[in-house]
Amino acid sequence: MDDMTEAMVRSAVFAAGLSPSEEEIASLVEGYADYRAGIDSLYAVAETRYASPALTFSATPVFADWSE
Amino acid sequence: MAIDDLQQGTLLPLTVTDAAERLRVGELTSVALTSALIARADALDPMTGTYVTRFDDHALAQAAQADADFAGGIDKGPFQGIPIGIKDILAVAEGRTTANSLILDPEWGAGREGPVVRRLKEAGAVITGKLTTSEFAIGSPDSSKPFATPRNPWNLDRSPGGSSAGTGNGVAAGLIMAGIGTDTGGSIRIPAAWNGVTGLMPTFGRVPKSGCVPLGYSLDHIGPLARSARDCAAMLNIIAGYHPSDESCADRPVDDYVGALTGDLSGVRIGIERTNHFPESSDPALRGSFDAAVAVLAELGADIVEVTLPLYNEVTTALWVMMSAEALAYHHNDLGGRWADYYALTRANVSRGALASGADYVQAARVRRVAQQQLAELFSGVDLIVAPTSATGAISHEAMLGRRLGNFFKTVFTGYWDAVGNPALVVPMGFTDDGLPLSLQLGARPFEEGLALRAGDAFQNLTDWHLRLPSLLTESAAG
Repeated sequence: MDDMTEAMVRSAVFAAGLSPSEEEIASLVEGYADYRAGIDSLYAVAETRYASPALTFSATPVFADWSE
Repeated sequence: MAIDDLQQGTLLPLTVTDAAERLRVGELTSVALTSALIARADALDPMTGTYVTRFDDHALAQAAQADADFAGGIDKGPFQGIPIGIKDILAVAEGRTTANSLILDPEWGAGREGPVVRRLKEAGAVITGKLTTSEFAIGSPDSSKPFATPRNPWNLDRSPGGSSAGTGNGVAAGLIMAGIGTDTGGSIRIPAAWNGVTGLMPTFGRVPKSGCVPLGYSLDHIGPLARSARDCAAMLNIIAGYHPSDESCADRPVDDYVGALTGDLSGVRIGIERTNHFPESSDPALRGSFDAAVAVLAELGADIVEVTLPLYNEVTTALWVMMSAEALAYHHNDLGGRWADYYALTRANVSRGALASGADYVQAARVRRVAQQQLAELFSGVDLIVAPTSATGAISHEAMLGRRLGNFFKTVFTGYWDAVGNPALVVPMGFTDDGLPLSLQLGARPFEEGLALRAGDAFQNLTDWHLRLPSLLTESAAG
């Protein structure tokens, strides 16, 4: 693992308030390159240039109780 | 029919449809059926780890009520008097929900239940208990935690898959007739595939997901697992439909899914996807089983063409990014304070959400939108898309513990369909050389579950893979 990747992973997980063990950090660092490469491939999809995300929002709040 | 006949296996395999017919002609009572399944759970659950909580007394009372209703001429439909289980991330009034975790507040959902469970009860189903899940539908068994490790009835050394592990292995081992699972990246279809049963992930929004502990808000689905596609259709008829408590639930009419089962596929155009579904690590029996399954679909009248799913790798990555981020948002405060109380794999999978940015999350959602559009174009030329569900049979418990989601989805082909929101049905299609089930996945256009179920049912009319039983069950029944 390179130092920069390890520093970035440590920073990200601790910033999120998580407290992984050294072994768990090592595992996250080990998998990070593949994870980041996968995320970078998302930005390479040319058709997303003018696409809106598959997220929805309604101005009408939902108050319905699921148990009723 | 006496309870002994069920225990000794004279009616095995018994589908929901079979049982419903026998209940109506007086050959079977719900109390006898429920009692037999309770006895089977006594014998097999210590090995399969199917249940988190059992409701034996409640179930027998519900069964007695179902029998009384039959005697009084009241018929609530095909699930009246049928014993089923509920994955333990949905609230059921009879007992607490754990999500197989030390973390979930015991008061969450206490004494309450959401629309899916309520609809099943109103339809007369007998709820036998809460079924094992991977922790919060994303972890894996952890021997340091006080929950049973679920096992695959076809080989106890293998995983039953997850996260709806108890629903999948419970149907396969005959502890329940059918059950409810949830699917965010494959959690209905993976255990269905690895346990040799049938499972349906409905269209996103077809079934209300309120009353269920969330994993990925934009990805979660609730759906049925059962022995047959026909049984899944009957359960979907009950649980589908709008409810205002789920803002993503579709307010549109519900089809008659059982009525759609014509047994014929004449004129149905089926796209066969091989490009992304046969990695080098595929089981040697996979290709032959898949080709044989496609031949059956052709025999049923389907027109077969080859297709390639658009943006396959990107969509799978988008799923992984969004699921981890959404899960981290839900678990953020608990992870911060109670890290060690979570299962190790839950920690690993959810903490990965911290490694993607907000922009990455939105870009993943943009890829999902583009993929939906491109997939819709593909579906203008075909009616169904068919591929293997998994490249292999069930993997070992150790392999499940060591998996990373990104690698996992290279040999398990479920996540794509969660991310695009289309429905997908999985049905058994054969076995590996060492006797583990292999599975066929059928994806359909949004809200065309009926067509996928029609194809699955027609396939099961000509094959008996879904009726094969693990020796654990047959030996137990014989003994």
